[in-house]
Amino acid sequence: MLGTTAKQPAADEPMEDAEEEEATADLAAFQREYEDDHSWEALQEDEFGRLRPLDQKEEQRAKRRRLLSAAASARIRRGMIRYLQVVVDLSQAAAIADMRPSRLAVIGGVLQGFIREFFDQNPLSHLGLVVLRNGVAEKLTDLSGSPEAHIAKLRAALDCGGDASLMNALETATDALKSIPPYGHREVLIAFAALSTCDPGNVLDAVKAAKQHRVRVSVVGIAAEVHICRVLTQDTGGTYGVALNEKHLEELVNEHAPPPPARAADAAASLVRMGFPQRNAEGFAGAAFVGADCKLGDGGYTCPRCRARVVELPSSCHVCGLTLVSSPHLARSYHHLFPVPAFAEVSADELARLQGCRRTPKAKPQLWPEVPWRAHCYGLDPQ
Amino acid sequence: MKFQLEGLSVYFPYEYIYPEQFRYMLELKRALDAKGHCLLEMPTGTGKTITLLSLITSYQLAHPEVGKLVYCTRTVPEMEKVLVELQELVEYRAKYYTGPGQAPPPILALGLSSRKNLCVHPTVAEEGTRESVDSGCRKLTAAWVREAAQKNPEVETCDFFEGLERAAVDAVLDPGVYTLEDLRQYGRKKGWCPYFLARHMLAFANVLVYNYQYMLDPKVSNMVSRELEKECVVVFDEAHNIDNVCIEALSVTMRKHTLEAAARNVLKLRAAVDKCKQTDANRLTTEYNRLVAGLQERGVLNPLPGGEEFVANPALPEDILRESVPGNIRRAEHFCVFLRRFVEYLKQRMTVQAVEQESPTTFLAQLTERMQIDGKTLRFCYDRLSSLLKTLEITDMDDFTPLHLVADFATLVGTYAKGFAIIIEPYDERMPSVPDPVIELSCLDASLAVKPVFQKFQTVVITSGTLSPIDLYPRILNFHPVAIQSFAMTLTRDCMCPVVLTRGADQMPMSTKFDMRGDEGVIRNYGRMLVELAAAIPDGIVCFFVSYSYMDAIVSRWNDMGILKDLMAAKLVFIETVDVVETTLALDNFRRACDCGRGAVFLSVARGKVAEGIDFDRHYGRCVVMFGVPYQYTLSRILRARLEYLRETFQIKESDYLAFDAVRQAAQCVGRVIRSKADYGMMVFADQRYQRHDKRDKLPGWITSHLRDAHLNLSTDMLLHVAREFMRSMAQPYDRLAIGKSLLTEEQANALGAPAVPALA
Ligand code: SF4
Ligand SMILES: [Zn+2]
Repeated sequence: MLGTTAKQPAADEPMEDAEEEEATADLAAFQREYEDDHSWEALQEDEFGRLRPLDQKEEQRAKRRRLLSAAASARIRRGMIRYLQVVVDLSQAAAIADMRPSRLAVIGGVLQGFIREFFDQNPLSHLGLVVLRNGVAEKLTDLSGSPEAHIAKLRAALDCGGDASLMNALETATDALKSIPPYGHREVLIAFAALSTCDPGNVLDAVKAAKQHRVRVSVVGIAAEVHICRVLTQDTGGTYGVALNEKHLEELVNEHAPPPPARAADAAASLVRMGFPQRNAEGFAGAAFVGADCKLGDGGYTCPRCRARVVELPSSCHVCGLTLVSSPHLARSYHHLFPVPAFAEVSADELARLQGCRRTPKAKPQLWPEVPWRAHCYGLDPQ
Repeated sequence: MKFQLEGLSVYFPYEYIYPEQFRYMLELKRALDAKGHCLLEMPTGTGKTITLLSLITSYQLAHPEVGKLVYCTRTVPEMEKVLVELQELVEYRAKYYTGPGQAPPPILALGLSSRKNLCVHPTVAEEGTRESVDSGCRKLTAAWVREAAQKNPEVETCDFFEGLERAAVDAVLDPGVYTLEDLRQYGRKKGWCPYFLARHMLAFANVLVYNYQYMLDPKVSNMVSRELEKECVVVFDEAHNIDNVCIEALSVTMRKHTLEAAARNVLKLRAAVDKCKQTDANRLTTEYNRLVAGLQERGVLNPLPGGEEFVANPALPEDILRESVPGNIRRAEHFCVFLRRFVEYLKQRMTVQAVEQESPTTFLAQLTERMQIDGKTLRFCYDRLSSLLKTLEITDMDDFTPLHLVADFATLVGTYAKGFAIIIEPYDERMPSVPDPVIELSCLDASLAVKPVFQKFQTVVITSGTLSPIDLYPRILNFHPVAIQSFAMTLTRDCMCPVVLTRGADQMPMSTKFDMRGDEGVIRNYGRMLVELAAAIPDGIVCFFVSYSYMDAIVSRWNDMGILKDLMAAKLVFIETVDVVETTLALDNFRRACDCGRGAVFLSVARGKVAEGIDFDRHYGRCVVMFGVPYQYTLSRILRARLEYLRETFQIKESDYLAFDAVRQAAQCVGRVIRSKADYGMMVFADQRYQRHDKRDKLPGWITSHLRDAHLNLSTDMLLHVAREFMRSMAQPYDRLAIGKSLLTEEQANALGAPAVPALA
């Protein structure tokens, strides 16, 4: 624009006119860039009239990329038994409405999804919630293995105000993680909405302490890059990402669901005692006591060591503390250690020429180098 | 890497080179080939210094007939930085040199600074100010002191100076690059005075790094830079304010207390003359005879060389008369009387009721009429005073500073009829109730001081991050460059986000224009904007206001409105004050607050110390807000006089110059936040007037190229939107390898630098 309207008007008046015009042009440019969010135009329906997610292709690409990188890093040692403190920033910064419907709602939703995903992928791990509000860090739930309990607590706690204090958050989380068994991996994930931290002391000391206790701190920022978070994550070996939008926030948070690569020094290899309880027969319905709560339900499990009743798996027995899992859980955890080999992408033309598993194509297709030849390919029509 | 640039082997101590660095070198080389001056603008953060050093030293290597590289910087830290980069370059060159001979020709580079920065004498070096170190040194090293010490061992001298004198011709520096600290260490080790050693080694150095004053201020340059050969290459780095430096070098300001102190100085001088007459009348007679013989023979007097030299004549070398001192001030007593009368006259002129402005010619005419003092006598005032002080063996020169000022004034008034104005103001216009009379001899023509430099040296390079509009500089400085070029920065991502904010959230225009300045609504809008910005931008924010008084006023209004409290909830607030110590402390705390995540806002003033010299890189400055257009105080008499002069002599319109000057200050301020390519920052121009082309187009190209339509004419809420988006996108991990796209490897550089490709120009 500088070039197009830069002509020098002779008198004052035409200049004003030109300026006026230009101002409108600038406004239009702004709207084009920031406000014209015609997202509905991009919506698509599938053949049944259901709305399809917008960028399906992109999504699948991303998924594939994740899988590929998981396959590539198969040799990396990963921590199976994780103890994760999730810190949710509910300071007044979480009330800002630059995400739709509001930061608070988005954070709440994303975290609930994450908690499920986390236990889905790490059935042997534990999670605890800490909330930052009014300058203090309040412990919402203790480290435990039950997703529903966390989600319920989180839902109830969603309102915000005051300042956030990273120092308090770190101290609370480190405190809780200090006492876990040595084979566990200590992690903190902070969902940080604020852009500053109001601390009672020096936050850098808290960072040092976290580092000393081998706590890996990761931060997902909601607004912008904050220097202290960068320092914090770099020092403790965590990751730091800042969300561009709601979707990206979800992605960033969910990146923490698969276990991170573990440094050998982080946790010693050791044997862990576990119980594999049997599911009770339907008819034996009864009450299970979890702490102060009493839950009624049919079925349930019985701890093989102390015979206490537990409602769901995986969990740790609330009486004797034994980790209770089922074998599919264990298998699912192993998934991270021995990922399925990635499939190669095959172009449509190639597909047409292929003849399915039983028959050998004449030439080896070029796009297949990643999979050992003769690996099975499903769904191809034998012609 | 080492590559060929149109037939010149260039040694560059990095594996890659930015395209703009390459083009800069090309432009510079052509200017050197053409033996002409050049004017080059390249943004900070692109490695300007190493580019300059690398090309010019490589050029020296290939063309031994080229003289020294004289690198002028504004501050001592900048000087040290240059020397450190040069050190790296020289190391690299030594390793990869291929050319005639086995080893590269040795290079001697050194920084030169005042005694204050170089003295190693245990007690003298501890003195607080520059003047006191100088005079402390003179007390120990003046010729007569040393003479006395030979007879009487009780008299104290400086061992380092004596050591240097004893070593005589052996006192040399080995080739190498010496920072000030290196010089001090070397001096301590050898027992030689680093200051005088450096002065002595000037003649042998290949690269000299020193302050602007050493080149531009005749008082210093006559002493230091006179001996430099014509073939030297002179570089002025960060030269966007070079015209102001030139003007200051030739201006003198005297206040009431200066004149009173000068009057006391005269009495003291008189007493010294009387005493001298009784004890050693011979000395005065010798001096008298010498003055009759002529001034050129100054210095013959000293049997022993000493460290007592005074600063030199304030007039430019070619304007100094090579004649003998007029008869009426040859005798010491007469000269004292003359000084007394002159000081009296100035004092009496100072008692005016209203502002007076006159040219040197009218001033002289009046002076002749009322006091029978003529211009020629005035002209010799300075030299006569130096000679007398020397004869009287007076060493505590800092006591005589006021009298020196008067002598400077006299000499300049006597020498120059054009390009100067004498302004007498009874009070500061902004505070008419406080009487504060001042006499100023103000140089109006920046080209005067810099003219000898352009005339004498083969190539003068003027360079900075902000020289826009670049075609104005040749006019103000009155020279003809062979190359004028402005280079943009190649970036891999849009790490700069300049925006023009014109309206508040209520759509009312925002400006610091005179008639809007005090407006409640404008003040509130500015305040609310800052508060909301503080909530949207992490870590550090820097704000620049147009003046101290405006900043004070608006901050106290914000306080009344409760805005300051809101601001402090988001970030800590620090303020620049006139007090340097206080400001340094504030800066320190500001940085600490940014480091620990609390976040902070620094409020400072355009044209202040902070705006010129302090970097707010990385998280210390994620955003900079320029409140208003930093015009100079336009009612100032000096500025008026200068504008008039510019219009009459160089045909530069007043409004053009004012806008140019304001915008270059603004660009300088906002440029503080981007100090490297990996950095990012937002630049908010918060004034309606930036929307106009006459302002905007004067901004340097590296800012305007990032100024998008969508970021013009914003209101506060739009600004916040832009800010949030920008901060988010900049926080994304960025591929450091992608920088590779904007880098040239050795082969690429070689290919581009082949002489067959003239297309790049
Ligand atoms: S001669 Fe050198 S070391 Fe001695 S006092 Fe002077 S500056 Fe300092
Ligand atoms: Zn049990």
